[in-house]
Amino acid sequence: MRASRTIGELDASFAWNGRSIYRAEELAAGTPIPFDLRGAITSYACTSTGEWRVLRDPLGLNKLFWVRESSGTVHFSARPHRLVAEGFDFDDIRSVPRGCVLDHRQGEQGARKASILPARWQSAESSTDAPSIVEIGTEIRSSLDGYLAAIAAVHPTARAFVCCSGGLDSSGIVALVAKHFADVVAVSFDLDRAGGGVSQDRRMAERLCNDLGLPLLDVTVSPEQLLGHLDTVLVEGIDWRDFNVHAGLVNAVLAEAIADAHAGQAIVFTGDLANEFLADYHEESYLGESYYRLPQLPLNELRASLVQGLDTSNREIGVFAARGLPVVQPYAVAVDSYLRLPSSFLGLRDAKQRLCRSIFGELVPGVIYDRPKVRAQIGDTNADGGVLATCIDRGLNQDRLRERFAQLHGVSDPRELNRFMRAGRYRSAVPTPEEGLL
Amino acid sequence: MTHDEIAERLEAFIRTQYSISADDPGFTQDVDLFDLGYVDSIGLVELLAFISTSFEVEIEDDDLLSDEFSNIDGMAKIVCRQAEW
Repeated sequence: MRASRTIGELDASFAWNGRSIYRAEELAAGTPIPFDLRGAITSYACTSTGEWRVLRDPLGLNKLFWVRESSGTVHFSARPHRLVAEGFDFDDIRSVPRGCVLDHRQGEQGARKASILPARWQSAESSTDAPSIVEIGTEIRSSLDGYLAAIAAVHPTARAFVCCSGGLDSSGIVALVAKHFADVVAVSFDLDRAGGGVSQDRRMAERLCNDLGLPLLDVTVSPEQLLGHLDTVLVEGIDWRDFNVHAGLVNAVLAEAIADAHAGQAIVFTGDLANEFLADYHEESYLGESYYRLPQLPLNELRASLVQGLDTSNREIGVFAARGLPVVQPYAVAVDSYLRLPSSFLGLRDAKQRLCRSIFGELVPGVIYDRPKVRAQIGDTNADGGVLATCIDRGLNQDRLRERFAQLHGVSDPRELNRFMRAGRYRSAVPTPEEGLL
Repeated sequence: MTHDEIAERLEAFIRTQYSISADDPGFTQDVDLFDLGYVDSIGLVELLAFISTSFEVEIEDDDLLSDEFSNIDGMAKIVCRQAEW
């Protein structure tokens, strides 16, 4: 790159080496390639001597886009809309591939490209070592504890806000964060409901916080308040697909409430990613229509596809970052253990309960284990009162979301978006010094 | 396997998987499958799995997001280039 710059802030880094959180100098240009890196990071660092490194985490949790102008200068940004606002054409924007490490060293022509994306993650093949579920659960617990302890060591006085749907994944994270941080608040989302009732999610969150002795920040909004966040979700979430937009709307509401509730240092923890690692998603039905369709694939292939798809959508990190809130997704560091789970296990009706029992044991109350799975953005076993219904009732269907995303990014024809994201992958390429793209 | 054979297998899969009528006049091997809504994002994941299983080819990101990969003819060309048989 003849010259380069970043537009706007990059997202917070919580990259882990299995023992501690990476410090910036440990990932600087010229340091060893961090093949063991887990967690979220994007990094673009130049030294005064002209060395630089571009780095993106292997799951693609943190996003990094770039565009090259005619002079050769490369502009990086964590959001495409920032590049569009600088006058660049959306069609020229590329994503840095997940797991990419690009190094330019002093005195060398060009840059060295490496990938820290483990090859086994890209395979749909199940593990052949047939580990026991208890063994994997213990591994996952160890990773989660190690990661949370490492974050607490770096941010000992931060208030930890934990998004709590009352489901197993988030409840486990609530319980573990409470072990490692002194100042913990659980946060629960709900929509105003006719008659004043509350969702099953809310009731479970209250029950969990009671059991754990934690304060609960309950956030209840009207449909209008919810949808007031739509543009933020589309531009910061970098996605127009309904399942991610709906989840992003929930996060936007929570982010606003957290930012309003606490002016000091805060870190947000979420229980997402475990669903991808377990291929534990299902379609939803509303007014006779199906939503959130999943690829019809064998479970091991579906899981590989869902993990690959984490490269796209920024519904957690981006949406919270819009309020200045850094996000930690603890399950990210346990991905290798999850991917050792055989596909035969994934197909079990009680797979998540069994695995979570081996991870969290009695840290999580029994009533949470016994609860039927509910999508966080639905809130109930009945979809009628959730975010999906709110959007559909107001005409915010998939086509409308796509059109609005296009408008917000200066794209005149929404069909152009077909060349920006396909099958859970952004249009990606690696910026190189002078010879063009690798 | 020739380009035409690959294209035929891709067309058959897409017609079956996405319930495209045999007499749909707009559906050809040159038509943009995504712009015209024959295949959506989820459907493309299924199509990639089919390509992987049937032709033992993994589509790289550069090809996946290319204009060439927008229609059956282009997909068949990409598979031909990448196939090692």
